[in-house]
Amino acid sequence: MALKIIESCVNCFACEPLCPSKAIYEAKPHFLIDAKKCTECEGDFAEPQCASICPIEGAILDALNVPLNPPGSLTGIPPEKMAEVMAEWQTH
Amino acid sequence: MELPVLNEQPAKTGGCSASSCGSTDDQLGHLSDEIRAKVQNHPCYSEDAHHYFARMHVAVAPACNIQCHYCNRKYDCANESRPGVVSELLTPDQAVKKTKAVAANIPQMTVLGIAGPGDPLANPERTFETFRRLSAEAPDIKLCVSTNGLSLPESVEELAKHNIDHVTITINCVDPEIGAKIYPWIFWENRRIKGKKAAKILIEQQQKGLEMLVAKGILVKVNSVMIPGVNDKHLAEVSRIVKAKGAFLHNVMPLIAEAEHGTFYGVMGQRGPNALELQALQDECAGDMNMMRHCRQCRADAVGMLGEDRGDEFTLDKIETMEIDYQAAMEKRKLIHQAIEAEMNSKRAEKTETSSKSSPLEALQARPVLMAVATTGQGVINQHFGHAKEFLVYEASPSGVRFIGHRKTDLYCGGDSTCGDGESVLQQTIRALEGCEAVLCSKVGYEPWEMLEAAGIQPNGEHAMEPIEAAVMAVYLEMHQAGKLAAVEIEQRASA
Repeated sequence: MALKIIESCVNCFACEPLCPSKAIYEAKPHFLIDAKKCTECEGDFAEPQCASICPIEGAILDALNVPLNPPGSLTGIPPEKMAEVMAEWQTH
Repeated sequence: MELPVLNEQPAKTGGCSASSCGSTDDQLGHLSDEIRAKVQNHPCYSEDAHHYFARMHVAVAPACNIQCHYCNRKYDCANESRPGVVSELLTPDQAVKKTKAVAANIPQMTVLGIAGPGDPLANPERTFETFRRLSAEAPDIKLCVSTNGLSLPESVEELAKHNIDHVTITINCVDPEIGAKIYPWIFWENRRIKGKKAAKILIEQQQKGLEMLVAKGILVKVNSVMIPGVNDKHLAEVSRIVKAKGAFLHNVMPLIAEAEHGTFYGVMGQRGPNALELQALQDECAGDMNMMRHCRQCRADAVGMLGEDRGDEFTLDKIETMEIDYQAAMEKRKLIHQAIEAEMNSKRAEKTETSSKSSPLEALQARPVLMAVATTGQGVINQHFGHAKEFLVYEASPSGVRFIGHRKTDLYCGGDSTCGDGESVLQQTIRALEGCEAVLCSKVGYEPWEMLEAAGIQPNGEHAMEPIEAAVMAVYLEMHQAGKLAAVEIEQRASA
């Protein structure tokens, strides 16, 4: 049972000091979670702390590779709207 | 239409009292001597000072504890100039080195701020380590911080300890209903909280923090982002409340929202206000509050005078190669700051003297006129039209000249023409000057001259190197003599 941080992480440092197990560490190109230390905050907090402050949708996955903050859940932007606008922008 | 009376006390007047007018001392005129002494060389707090003094931000604070709908945490573009954007994150040690290097090379520098790219108080160790070291190693540099306010109450003691006498809080609302449309979530007591509940906590923390800072004697400026249809009708109330609680300056800034920034507002098509809407709201708030109108909404790693960014000259690898005598640099700074302050004081005295003489137009019914000015600083018209990345806008009226704000020509992006929609730079510039009837600069080329005239904006290169306010008044008088300021138009405007 461990969470992981993937490449969409923007290295904002917000999660690192919150981890009760000190499992999160600075690395290149982005922060990582030590799977041996991560407890998913069980016994410490109701919700995993890293996923509760992370501002980037999809940057933190659970053990089954499911994002804890799926697209649209943090920004409120419907994913299809985001895709539409970004596609339009790229054709310019 | 009733014209604002420039020489009255702020509480009685409409727009002008709160800004820098030709005929009042300056926007800070009503402040106590003690506060004035603290801000008179701070380019972000004093409109007067921003013509002379430089500031910098160090990007040591990447983490944030809230999400705003006008912010996208993924963004990093070297061509962008807006809050929240940086190119190079610094450790406190790197930030201290950079600050000292910039202060040695730009001796007009008076202020070091921490403003992000996240929230400084959500990164307390990095932020306070930077402040602690700078207050010891560069004691002449003023330190300030800008925050969303969520962690402010718990940070007030620490801020006071580091001798920080200026804090900016961004307060966009005092109503959780409105807040829920601006802030999708906050991180609070180990949980992510959404909606109205989140906005209510944030608002309470901001107001509590404001009160605590004022009680400590720390100066507080309030920033608000004007979001049409969301909080534009609400900000006059915000202005009243924060002033009543002791904030000394209110800065209403326009929302920046472009789809390509990937922000909620940008993607969802929320528009920002145009220059005239912004000015109208600033005037409305000014009845209750000292307003700031010269804010440039700079990057969290901006360096130099407001409106310019010399960050490229001070990247970490360039700083490493610089040989600097910090002690000598500090002494030189002291002399330069003294010289600038002496110059500012003499100009201020001149203005006071001029204002005591009655204006030649005072008795006349003439409509106010907006004029754009190209300047690189020192309070004079000294920039070529084509070199201006921004214009300062002044309003001339029978009772004097007042500073209104600035207009950017490159609209937040210094990238090449592939960023745009095919509109030429010149067309963009002319669009940015909407509402202005003249543009004063040191020189202007033939092609822009013709296009400006066609757009109803009179180019004028006859006042190069003259003080801005005197030149604006001179042009206004010429317009009056040419019969362009007929009183009948006042009635039309009033009934419009």
